[in-house]
Amino acid sequence: MTSESTALPSYASLVGVGRDEMIAPGGGVRPHYAPLLNALSTMPRSEREARFSSARQYLSEAGVFHQVYGSGDAAEQTHEWPLAQPPLVLDPAEWATLSEGLVQRAEFLERVIADLYGERRLVRDGVIPGALVGQNPEFLRPLSQQGLSGAPLIRFIAIDLGRGPDGRWWVLGDRTQAPSGAGFALENRVATSKAFPDISREMNVERLAPFFMRFRDTLYDLAGPDVTRIGLLTPGPHNETYYEHAYLARYLGLLLLEGGDLVVHHDRAEVRTVDGFRPIRVLWRRLDADFCDPLELFGGSRIGTPGFLRAVRSGALVTVNALGSGLLETAGLLAFQPALARATIGTELMLPTIATWWCGQEAARAYVTAHRERLQLAPAFPPAADAAAGLPAAEEITRLSARGFDELMRREGTAIVAQEVAALSTAPVFVAGRLEPRPVTLRVFLARDRDGWHVMPGGFARISDSRDARVVSLQRGGGSTDVWIPSDNPPRPVTLIGTGGTRFARRLPGAVPARAADNLYWLGRYAERCEVATRLLRLYGARTGEGWKAGELEMRIGGLLAELGVTVPPGDPVRGLLALARQAADTASRIRDRFSPDGWRTLREIVRLIVEAQDDDGTELVGLTSAILTHLSGFAGLVQENMYQFLGWRFMQSGRSLERAQMSARIAASLLSGEPPEGALEALLGFSDSSVTYRRRYFVDLSRETVVDLTVLDPLNPRSVAFQANALFEAVSALPGMDAGETPDMLFRRLARLRVRLQTAEAQEVAPAFLTRIGGDLADISDLFTRRYLLSSPRRGPGHEESE
Amino acid sequence: MIYDLVLKIGHDYAGSVADARHVLRVRPRTEPGQRVVSSALAVAPEPDESFAEADFFGNPMDSATLYRPHSRLDLEMRARVEVSRRAVDLAATPPLGRLADAARLCRSGGPDAPMHFLGRSRRIALPDPVRTYAAECLDNEAGAGAAILSLAMRIKADFAYRPGATDVGTGAAAAFAERRGVCQDFAHVMIAGLRANGIPAGYVSGFLRTDPPPGQPRLEGADAMHAWVTAWLGPDCGWVGFDPTNGVLAGDGHIAVALGRDYDDVAPVAGVLVTAGPQRSYHAVDVVPHEDPSLPMRETSATSASEKPSSSKDRKISSTFSL
Repeated sequence: MTSESTALPSYASLVGVGRDEMIAPGGGVRPHYAPLLNALSTMPRSEREARFSSARQYLSEAGVFHQVYGSGDAAEQTHEWPLAQPPLVLDPAEWATLSEGLVQRAEFLERVIADLYGERRLVRDGVIPGALVGQNPEFLRPLSQQGLSGAPLIRFIAIDLGRGPDGRWWVLGDRTQAPSGAGFALENRVATSKAFPDISREMNVERLAPFFMRFRDTLYDLAGPDVTRIGLLTPGPHNETYYEHAYLARYLGLLLLEGGDLVVHHDRAEVRTVDGFRPIRVLWRRLDADFCDPLELFGGSRIGTPGFLRAVRSGALVTVNALGSGLLETAGLLAFQPALARATIGTELMLPTIATWWCGQEAARAYVTAHRERLQLAPAFPPAADAAAGLPAAEEITRLSARGFDELMRREGTAIVAQEVAALSTAPVFVAGRLEPRPVTLRVFLARDRDGWHVMPGGFARISDSRDARVVSLQRGGGSTDVWIPSDNPPRPVTLIGTGGTRFARRLPGAVPARAADNLYWLGRYAERCEVATRLLRLYGARTGEGWKAGELEMRIGGLLAELGVTVPPGDPVRGLLALARQAADTASRIRDRFSPDGWRTLREIVRLIVEAQDDDGTELVGLTSAILTHLSGFAGLVQENMYQFLGWRFMQSGRSLERAQMSARIAASLLSGEPPEGALEALLGFSDSSVTYRRRYFVDLSRETVVDLTVLDPLNPRSVAFQANALFEAVSALPGMDAGETPDMLFRRLARLRVRLQTAEAQEVAPAFLTRIGGDLADISDLFTRRYLLSSPRRGPGHEESE
Repeated sequence: MIYDLVLKIGHDYAGSVADARHVLRVRPRTEPGQRVVSSALAVAPEPDESFAEADFFGNPMDSATLYRPHSRLDLEMRARVEVSRRAVDLAATPPLGRLADAARLCRSGGPDAPMHFLGRSRRIALPDPVRTYAAECLDNEAGAGAAILSLAMRIKADFAYRPGATDVGTGAAAAFAERRGVCQDFAHVMIAGLRANGIPAGYVSGFLRTDPPPGQPRLEGADAMHAWVTAWLGPDCGWVGFDPTNGVLAGDGHIAVALGRDYDDVAPVAGVLVTAGPQRSYHAVDVVPHEDPSLPMRETSATSASEKPSSSKDRKISSTFSL
């Protein structure tokens, strides 16, 4: 048994001269860390490892990841979420003081933004230089009056903090546009609770759920009494924090929307759904403002909604936070804090801000030039959507001669701030099995409701990778931990999941945005397509593996596979299979808010299986394809058993049925055409998994008629074309606008006709021409389906011709 | 001088457009020295929704949204404007050297405040070569008006007026490197040169008197919408127009439609629409001067204008749908 108490002196010896969160200057453990450290010290190392691994397992099962942008053309990569242990524990009394300062800061920021989007007294009275507003890409002129109404422009913000050697928390920056991290903080909490359920209970760690519940209520209050859905506006799946958007949407019951899901009619914003346009009044905005409206803001935005600003100005659409609130993230404003505080709240700020000089002024430039060694330069303004030129890189600036630095200051000073390098406190984290002190910054979240601002009791701690990193950022490596605020009182058990006030009672999920439906439909199709290719490949592998020479039948199967992009040996079939599996997994990852983490993980698992097989030379096709099929049936089972069988499910089911019917018809047509080669009938049965059924149903040898009957026409065989046509008909009949008694839609009529054709056909007439005609019908039905439900919005993104 | 203006802009789409939303900045603005007597805008086919509002800089802004499929779009704007700008006494303008400081310290926050017209904006980067180029003729000791006019004249002399050499998306840096372009490019280069040297400068779109007064040469840019520069000459002189395409001060023959930081703020037609295939455009301008405000406006104009590629920033999204 390795005890941590013996390791503690070594931790204390690693703590530098700076402040440590756990160890007091005398070398003793700070009292608020004691219960956690005691527990960690007395448990065997194996137990500790097991606890950490249960946290990791949760994260991996939930599919928590973040994206790191590659440089240049390299696609972004997804990374496992770097959760470190143990959590950062903060002293409750200190936290209470800090919270007061944070609330004061939020109120201060609120006043500043109201003025800058209103009378701009702060400029007129000379409190801040006009350049900080006039040259600021986040000062949105189309909304220059939005502060005059008195309605708060910020309602959910984050503040980045670091603790100085004197033990005070310093403000490093404000995140007021669309702060990320709150969802990751929640996930860190859930994962960390898996590791320390007992200890967090014992320490009465403050819960996060009430904070989110109150925020959700605020959003509904803003929307008014008769509103059923609130949206979360995301830039889409390519954004680095898309996972968080999907997670928060699921957690708070919000509709995850992209700009293309919205349309503005008159002054109102509406969501394009499979059942027409539905009004939306409140959006929690995670899309940067400049991208929201290509007509009045950044014209190059492909992820916005034309007319968005019109709806905002009319008051019919409220975004949290208001567009343009990113103005408060201007680092240049940090250079004018005391004056800004006096002018707005009439008092000093309780929380100090990191020492900042705005280089647009002569005196500041002189100071910065004289002290350039111990200062760090940063952009004075938030980044522009279409940034033309940025600062030279830090190492370039370091190399600048005195004259070059002077020149940079004079020309670009307006766009530059210099900041003192913050000396951060350290917190204990396990690195390779032992505790080490690492620099830490803390992101805290505040939300406003009718009563004012509330601080989330906890936050998101970033831990540096190295012992003396200047900048702590996930994009540059490093990890994060949960943040615990212990309390004297046991918290009331409350969580968002499963509570659901009266507002949520007996409400069906309602209209699915057309984009989500489109993805669900294609997920159904792609998953099925992947299965068809895998089955064909297994069939091919089994026949060639048994030492058969590739004959006519194998050539036909190879041709069918080629149609799906899979080339049989000597080509590389695994590559084609991988492309199909990726298509399904990527489609699923675009709708993670509507989809169980298990289903998504199963698809990712298939991709992983194939990737591994690709790296392995001696891949044996039958083994690989069987493993894939096992996973795919697991996926199908999850969809069938675990997915709420309402609109979204029906779209997925429609895609699946359509794809399977079409593929089955295509394969039968190919195998039966002309003179069917030796073994074609067995192959058809084998492909459709119907051999056993066949023996049970027909007491005769294989005959063309009986095999066709079972694989094409039999309404009870789930692998037959007829069965899938019926399933498609059922799914479509239950979609909006297919009400009985109304003039049937073209889609409905074509489907009904197809069913009858299959119901009344004789096995003898099922010739390749018949099957090809069925395939054509299904292709038409897919087009009609797409036009009726999915094409209400133009498909954006790749595959689009665009021209200016 | 009173002008009767007609502006016609049209788009012919190869494929049918399903859905379109436009923001139009085509009506003349009201500003010191310019009074709009009347203005009317007609859009065909008739928009399903239309609104008129003023933007941040006080430019009239019309929105037009069409939901019904259409294969062409035509706009016709007619206006009567009275222009009588005060004469600028170049000798009375403050020394250029004092301008940058005055601009930096100016505390006004209104739409015409210098703070909006300094530094970078979407179309205006501040490349070093342009900074140096402008600085060469911006004599700090000279009167600001004369110095800035000399920059406008230098641009006219150094740059070739070449319709078609650049397009609506060309930035100041590219036009500067090529030393050629159209009024939009000249204006962007001049704005970049002024701002890089600390002088507030904005972009003006508008019309130019088509027929020159007797004895004066016809100015470039009269057969389409024109663009020039407005520069801030200190708190007393305020904003003054300079036309780098023609190397002159903007006078009573310059009729302003919209003012902004660069082209992006004033694009006459901005739109988002869904269509497949290319589009053809036309753009015609007629500016008829007269002294008699009681003269009725003509119903149809015998337009003398030629066709030119439209300078709309329409964005097309083709609706191809594939697997």
